[in-house]
Amino acid sequence: MGLNVKIRGKAVATFRYIHVDMMETLAQWTPSSPEMEAKLMLGEHIWDVAQSADALGKRTRELRMQLHHSEKPADAYVELLADIRKEPGTAQRLASFYEVLLPGLAERYRAYLDQTDTLMDGPTVRIIEQMHAVEARMMSQYRELRGEVPTLGKVDSTWVKALSQRESQIASIVT
Amino acid sequence: MQSYTHTSSDTTVIRGITLRKGPARESCFTVVEDNTKLSFNADPDYETGKDMSDSMRRNRIHTHMHNEMQSIEIAAQSLADFPDAPWELRMELARQCWDESRHAAALLRRLKQMGGHKGEFPVIHYEWYITCVQDSLIARLAIQNRTFEGGEMDLLKVHAQMWRDAGDEVTAELLEAILPDEIHHVRFANVWMKRLAKDDPRVLLKVLTGISFMKWVSQVFAPAPDETNASGGKVSETVHPTPPNVDDRRLAEFTEQEIAELLRQDGFGYLVPQAS
Repeated sequence: MGLNVKIRGKAVATFRYIHVDMMETLAQWTPSSPEMEAKLMLGEHIWDVAQSADALGKRTRELRMQLHHSEKPADAYVELLADIRKEPGTAQRLASFYEVLLPGLAERYRAYLDQTDTLMDGPTVRIIEQMHAVEARMMSQYRELRGEVPTLGKVDSTWVKALSQRESQIASIVT
Repeated sequence: MQSYTHTSSDTTVIRGITLRKGPARESCFTVVEDNTKLSFNADPDYETGKDMSDSMRRNRIHTHMHNEMQSIEIAAQSLADFPDAPWELRMELARQCWDESRHAAALLRRLKQMGGHKGEFPVIHYEWYITCVQDSLIARLAIQNRTFEGGEMDLLKVHAQMWRDAGDEVTAELLEAILPDEIHHVRFANVWMKRLAKDDPRVLLKVLTGISFMKWVSQVFAPAPDETNASGGKVSETVHPTPPNVDDRRLAEFTEQEIAELLRQDGFGYLVPQAS
């Protein structure tokens, strides 16, 4: 048996909260990161993430919630998002976003798709598949950027691993 | 919509005016606080304002590229500063971030094709200083989108022809490709300013305050008549009037009355049809 409508709605609204938060984080980092090439990539990704938030927000109404309804994720995840936003260095910012947050979200999308009825929840499935593809492209652009501007790849791998572990230890983001 | 409250750490004082502290820049960029420190040429071999020497071509592209980068930063900062703005308006700002990113990337590519590089010429954060110090989104839209980008619409049309006349079709086409995006940025600002003002007419005071501030800063930053720039040219000779791009201003939802007023302000009042 798949997820019921209420649970689907909560998951979609939670993903929306996260995408709006990510959009604001990228927006805040754009003027405050000095590297021009990083700014240009962030500017593009602000729009990518905004479109995902928009699609999720339209889906919440279809799932018997308000249009563009957001639900706060689990406290531990909210704290993780806030800590990532506060990172001062561009290399750390990018690593935390593209090596921790996005891969973590990809896992959570997979978990959702495994549980939901892909026929009856088809519209959500399509949105998530689309987001997954977009975010895979964003990660690939990040890797290209690191090749182009090597200083942006200078991050302590132990720190990234610890942050990834912190992310994966949050079992469920939906409250 | 809530106002943005500045902290002392995000403002700076230049020529006695409190402005938003400039965005972060790589060390390759020389950021100046004064138009006279910019290095626009005033080469006597060229007609005033139409210097198309190799160095000036790169300078023009570099300045435009930096302005586009500043526009990404301004739109992004507004997304960050006004989290409770209507979602549809935030979507427009998010889209603008991507548009300006593409513009800056394309201009950087063109600059490199011309043998130039980022940081080659001094830059100024003029638009950022004035726009991002505003505590309301409607004032930022009025200044950055409607005024500065509206002015860019006028310039792009003239400059595309200037590059074409100078035999550079590639740059002319690039500027023409940027123009439709800028028209939309001005249009959405016009649409949203009207909508926000209809919902709450008190916000018009914010627009008025913002525009008055912009005019005041422009006066304070204006060069003295004989002031020279970093290239030794008279600053006044690097500036020339640009007629409003009437067709595109119509597309950007300026009213006929507003267009007529712009024509008169810029000395092109003779183009305005007289009422019979």
